[in-house]
Amino acid sequence: MAPPILVEALRKSYGAQLALGGVSFEVAAGEIVGLLGPNGAGKSTTLGVLATLLRFDAGRVAVAGHALPAGAARARRALGLVPQQVAVYPTLGARENLRFFARAFGLGRAEAARSAAAALDLVGLATRAHEPVAWLSGGMRRRLNLACGILHRPAVVLLDEPVVGVDPQSRERIFEAIETLAQGGAAVLYSTHQMEEAERLCARVVLLDRGRVVAAGTPAALVAGAGLRPILRLRTGRPLPPGWLAGVAGATLADPSAPETTIAVTDTATAPAILAAALRAGGDVLEMALVRPSLADAFFALTGRALRDEDAPAASA
Amino acid sequence: MLAGLAAALGKDLRLLARDRVGLVFLTVAPIVVISVAGLSLATLYGAEPRGGTAPVLPVADEDGGWVGRAVRERLADEPSVRARPVATAEAARALVQAKRAAAALVVPAGASEAVGGGRAAALVLLTDPVKTVDVAYVRALAQELRHGLEAAAVERARHELDAARAQAADARARFVHAADDLHRALDDLGARLEAMRADAERRRAAAERELRAALAERQAAARARLAAALAPLRAFLAELAAKRQAFAEWLAAVRERAGHFADRVPPPPEPPRVPPALEELASADPDAVAARLVAPDGAPALPPLAPPALPAAPSLDLPALPEPPAGRLPGPLALEETSVTGAPRRLNTFDQNVPGFGVTFLLLGVLLGVSLGLLDEDEWGTLERVRTTPIPLTAVLVAKLAARAAVGLVQMALLFVVGRLAFGVSLGPEPWALFLPTAGIVFAGTAFGLVVAAAAPGREAVLPLGSIAIMTMAAVGGCWWPIDLEPDWMRRAALALPTTWAMEAYNDLMIRRQPAGAVLGATAVLLAHGAVYLAVGLLLFRRRVLRGS
Repeated sequence: MAPPILVEALRKSYGAQLALGGVSFEVAAGEIVGLLGPNGAGKSTTLGVLATLLRFDAGRVAVAGHALPAGAARARRALGLVPQQVAVYPTLGARENLRFFARAFGLGRAEAARSAAAALDLVGLATRAHEPVAWLSGGMRRRLNLACGILHRPAVVLLDEPVVGVDPQSRERIFEAIETLAQGGAAVLYSTHQMEEAERLCARVVLLDRGRVVAAGTPAALVAGAGLRPILRLRTGRPLPPGWLAGVAGATLADPSAPETTIAVTDTATAPAILAAALRAGGDVLEMALVRPSLADAFFALTGRALRDEDAPAASA
Repeated sequence: MLAGLAAALGKDLRLLARDRVGLVFLTVAPIVVISVAGLSLATLYGAEPRGGTAPVLPVADEDGGWVGRAVRERLADEPSVRARPVATAEAARALVQAKRAAAALVVPAGASEAVGGGRAAALVLLTDPVKTVDVAYVRALAQELRHGLEAAAVERARHELDAARAQAADARARFVHAADDLHRALDDLGARLEAMRADAERRRAAAERELRAALAERQAAARARLAAALAPLRAFLAELAAKRQAFAEWLAAVRERAGHFADRVPPPPEPPRVPPALEELASADPDAVAARLVAPDGAPALPPLAPPALPAAPSLDLPALPEPPAGRLPGPLALEETSVTGAPRRLNTFDQNVPGFGVTFLLLGVLLGVSLGLLDEDEWGTLERVRTTPIPLTAVLVAKLAARAAVGLVQMALLFVVGRLAFGVSLGPEPWALFLPTAGIVFAGTAFGLVVAAAAPGREAVLPLGSIAIMTMAAVGGCWWPIDLEPDWMRRAALALPTTWAMEAYNDLMIRRQPAGAVLGATAVLLAHGAVYLAVGLLLFRRRVLRGS
């Protein structure tokens, strides 16, 4: 049985600008897969193709078993898109927005009303259901944006940075809703450049850079695969003398040029020994932090580029 | 498909309902503009029928006669001016000089008497040359009034003349009849005289015959009596002759006896000689005498009856009475203006302004509404989001157009209702027929909005692009002024615009008072415009939407 989301060797160009250069991945039912990459990596283009909004040049794409573009009309019935932009009608109420999109996805009038009510409960907007969306806070709009994409319980959910600018409380509600969807059997593709979100939600991630998949797998595997070790950061009142770390096994100075003292460790258990060595060397330790390597670190390690790369090409944004 | 279309339509109607400012713009703004424009331009076309836009016209009746009275009465019934009676011409002049009136009308003293006496008289129009439009209108009205009075006077005279002619004709007819009677009487008299003459002749002939018979009888009797009477004479004469014979014989005997003395015998006395006539009479045949004296046919003939010749009946050559002359008065050369459609002659300016500005605001509403609405959806991201639903893009667009079209229809219906109630506009003989051009222009306008939305590079371009298109279509198409004010080439060019056809249809229905059948052609053209715009709009908009994909 084909996975709900299947992308094989997907290629897409905007004129001479290559946006996707052979992207392949799949998302199984009940799975939440993160699509990570900096701006211009090709995330939105990938989502656009999957959402049937963009044509592609080559490759094989299927949504809910319907190959695109021929099966686009049928694929849309199984599709739920939560765009990065809050794409709702600002002068309508939350309930009106939800009812419209429910009807647009083919639900009957009564079923649309029930689904709208359930979605309002799910995202915590039942008490503000009749207010025009323009009156709602940014977080509430984000939640409504999510609800509009999932209220028809689609088999495939495409989320494009759904929690940008959302307050923590709303973000957690959104995460819970997404997890509920996945538990219900939906295949969820979650596009973001926030590694924390991916780590919080995604069982697997696909790292995109310049239109290509640079890595894919579980977050832990990706970090591990990048050969990254935890980092201990020390901030001292006085500079530490050279060789102060010589007696600590499994610890090496990682970045001598950094304003803070950065030590790469093979095991986080060496942290007390490092602290003791710094104290012995006369370092007036003001602050110490143990930082585990993240997906961003892994991405950086893999590509030499940060996930928040504002200089990325705009063509595929 | 249909459910999705209905959902999109419902959504768009809700969006429109929430746009309170837009709804006010669509309803109140056109009413305000229509009111202002209608009241401002009223005198350009005529005036609204309730007199709200009528110019003040001071009227000074210094005549006091029937002319002044007629002028005042006519102006009192004229809704297109507000006649203000003033006492004198000076008062009227003062009002015009004070710019409180564009013109004033004065009926000079003696006007009625002059006109009634067949002399010339003049109404005086005092004018402010600056207020040309009002003056022109009042001038035309005064001319119309003057002509009306003149025509009425002529008409009265004509009636009088007609009455006189009728009387003359009647008298002539009676005269001819009497003459005919006289002719007939004369003819009858002649006949009777002829008969009488014949009868007299007959009687004379009869009398003559009787007379002749009587005379013959009497002649016979007379001959008999004459013969009887002549018989002694004849006997005497015979005896006398015998005696004379005897005497001669005797004498001869005597003389013979007297021998030679016979010479001495004296001659005997000569006996008287029988007159030869008597002798002849006595010797004549009595019948001949009688015949000679009383000829059998010598009865005196009755003098022929010689009645005077029948006088020829006087021919009674009555002079033929000429036909009473036809009216000699110059007939009033009236300018009888008749609307070929039977519509009123006077134009209610709002009959032009309500549909005209209604169409303008309709286009503003539907054209900008559609284009900005689509751009709104583009900016909100909802258009893209809806494209990921099973609703086809065409259905989304059609729903958007249908919602705007529904609002446009309501908008126009509302304007017509307000126009009817507030300004007394005509809805034509079949008010429902207004739906035809309205539906046509709504369809064309909404579809054109799709073209603008597709052609405009962005929101900031829609207003200038749409406004230019709307204003041009409205102005050239005759929405703001009668299209006949435009030059011919522009009117021909205007045929390419839907507004032209819409206004033509509205004018047909509301001003020319035509039935629905008169606007089917224009409606078809509007629908054709809409169909073309829709096809082009859908093509361009789909291309625009898919451009980035």
